[in-house]
Amino acid sequence: MITIQNLTKKYNGQIALDQLNLKVNKGEIYCLLGANGAGKTTTINLLLGFIEPTSGSALINNLNVFEKAKETKKFLAYIPENLMLYPSLTAIENLDYFSGIAGKRLSKESLISFLKEAGLQENAFENRITAFSKGMRQKVGIAIALAKDARVLLLDEPTSGLDPKASNEFGQLLHNLSQKGVATLMATHDLFRAKEVATHIGIMKDGQLKEEFIASDISLHGLEKTYLSTMNYKEVEL
Amino acid sequence: MFSYNFRYELKLLLRSKWIQLLSIILLLLFGFSGYNGKEKVAKRKADIVAAKNEVKENDEMMLRLLDSIEKGMEVSASRWTIPTNPMVVGNYNPRVAAMEPQSMAFIATGQADLFTHYVKPKVTGDDFALNFTEMTSPVQLLFGSFDLSFVIIYLLPLIIIAFSYNVLSSEKESGSLRLLASQPIRIQNWVLQKLSLRFFWLSVLVIIALLITLSILGITWFSTFISFLILIGFILTYMLFWFAFAFLVNLGAGNSAKNAISLLGLWVLFVLLVPSTLNQLSTTLYPMPSRTLMINEMRGLKAEVAKKQDKILDNFLRDHPEYAINDTTQTRGFYHRYMASQQLVKEELKPVFMAYENQLQKQQAWVERLKWVSPAITIQESLNKMAGTSTGDYEHFRKQVVVFAETWRSFLTPFLYNNQNFTQNNYHDLPQFEFQPKSVTEQPKILGILLFIALSLFSIGFISSEKVKRKSMLKLL
Repeated sequence: MITIQNLTKKYNGQIALDQLNLKVNKGEIYCLLGANGAGKTTTINLLLGFIEPTSGSALINNLNVFEKAKETKKFLAYIPENLMLYPSLTAIENLDYFSGIAGKRLSKESLISFLKEAGLQENAFENRITAFSKGMRQKVGIAIALAKDARVLLLDEPTSGLDPKASNEFGQLLHNLSQKGVATLMATHDLFRAKEVATHIGIMKDGQLKEEFIASDISLHGLEKTYLSTMNYKEVEL
Repeated sequence: MFSYNFRYELKLLLRSKWIQLLSIILLLLFGFSGYNGKEKVAKRKADIVAAKNEVKENDEMMLRLLDSIEKGMEVSASRWTIPTNPMVVGNYNPRVAAMEPQSMAFIATGQADLFTHYVKPKVTGDDFALNFTEMTSPVQLLFGSFDLSFVIIYLLPLIIIAFSYNVLSSEKESGSLRLLASQPIRIQNWVLQKLSLRFFWLSVLVIIALLITLSILGITWFSTFISFLILIGFILTYMLFWFAFAFLVNLGAGNSAKNAISLLGLWVLFVLLVPSTLNQLSTTLYPMPSRTLMINEMRGLKAEVAKKQDKILDNFLRDHPEYAINDTTQTRGFYHRYMASQQLVKEELKPVFMAYENQLQKQQAWVERLKWVSPAITIQESLNKMAGTSTGDYEHFRKQVVVFAETWRSFLTPFLYNNQNFTQNNYHDLPQFEFQPKSVTEQPKILGILLFIALSLFSIGFISSEKVKRKSMLKLL
């Protein structure tokens, strides 16, 4: 679903992403770990077509992201760190609007079913987004992905700032989407959540993918240890 | 995408208190300016009616005097006010040459603050003595008139700026732009659609505000439906200009403050700076001859002519033998000499008048050529022409009055040289002035050109944004 080959991005000669190779198949959840400036967000921006690569290619559903930007966006959904919706519209209206401009005309019943599937409490459906917590907004974001029937989900620090319950619920939602065959690429700092939801984990540093594992092959402690050593941080004994 | 944008843009607009406030302001501005325009037209009409009533009263008095004289009765009036003398009729009972307000006069005061709307040409007066300028409030001249054209040209762009400066930047600042940009849409199209919808809703608001204002003020717009449609056409085209500017500025991907300042800068440039610079340049390049110098020249000439009035009269009568044939008395007095010399004065002053008129025409032609530099000038000119209050309209009126003044003189002069009394029977033959408004035919052409320029601006924005879209996108996000 997502194929990245030798993807490089330089900003004024400064390397942000260096020869990245990565593949996320149908139903897989790939978590990219790394410190700030490691190249996680640059990877996502490239996949979204927000920026052009210096070299290399990226395919979504076998379509080149940089040549067929508009087409590839039909297959993907994106949830940024702070998902901002229209505060003066209700949850249903936001969902209707974003799925509508993506080309999906849905009945009110369908919209409600997607919000339910995303786990938003029913009494919030007709409320304006302005009073929604970050976790609730993320659920609307998931509902947008569901409504769009996205085959690829790109997430940029989606769990930062979420309380444990909301973070857990979000992980469950990702799991449900993966069951439906959605390929997910998630940039995160949250090792615990990455270990819990991911099928594959990659650690990035200085624009390079330094380590890559199958999530089930590594323990949380092992992941933490590898992460710290990759980053050249010393493990603090407690 | 369009139907969703349309529906939700309306919802967002209706739920925005800021937009609700702007709509109320718009309605109040249209209401107040429409009221002002109507009051000015009413005053103009009242002035003309009062002048005509005065003439009517004087005529009744004249007819009573003539009736008494013709019945052989003695009248208690000074000799120089007895209307059997054609010069008395010509000087003391002049007709009113009035410029009646047009049906759309309420939309633009134009030059109405500077010029009078009626004059009474006298038989002994010369063309230059016809005073078309009118003293008016200097405060009003300083600030201009708060009429519909002022609201449309000066204030409506500010409302459009408030309506459109942050279409894209607010998405960027609120954080929703990344989500939008991840959808299979082109941001340029999305901005264009948003602005189109705001243009549509603002157009609806403007038309409603205009209709409500006209209905409340009792202005029968439906009787001049075509003019009303053209007015709407001008307003919408002018609005389109400002939305085109907003489109270009929004695609520049600046923040809201930068966008607002850029648009306000364009407002200052096109609405204030360009028109005032053109005005200053027109008077610098084509300065009007001094009116004081001309009056001095005219007085000198008249004094010269007065010295040789007997000779002038002899020459005049030689040129008009019909007067000698028809007049058995051959009595010649002051008026005979004066009227004969008038023709000479007129011929001598012709170059002076022409210099004045030529400069005025050059000024007007210069402004006419350069009006396309600013949509504000083009629209102001067009609204003034629609209202019948443009410089051209007053010039058109002045020319008709000069012709009428000549007709008035030509009618009464034969009575004078034939030493024939003016009677009640002649009263009905007195020439009457009927104002013929200037025909306005170029409006569709102007509308077409303005529309073309506005759409070209949109195209420029679209093409240039295509070229820089990658860079812009990064800047935006």
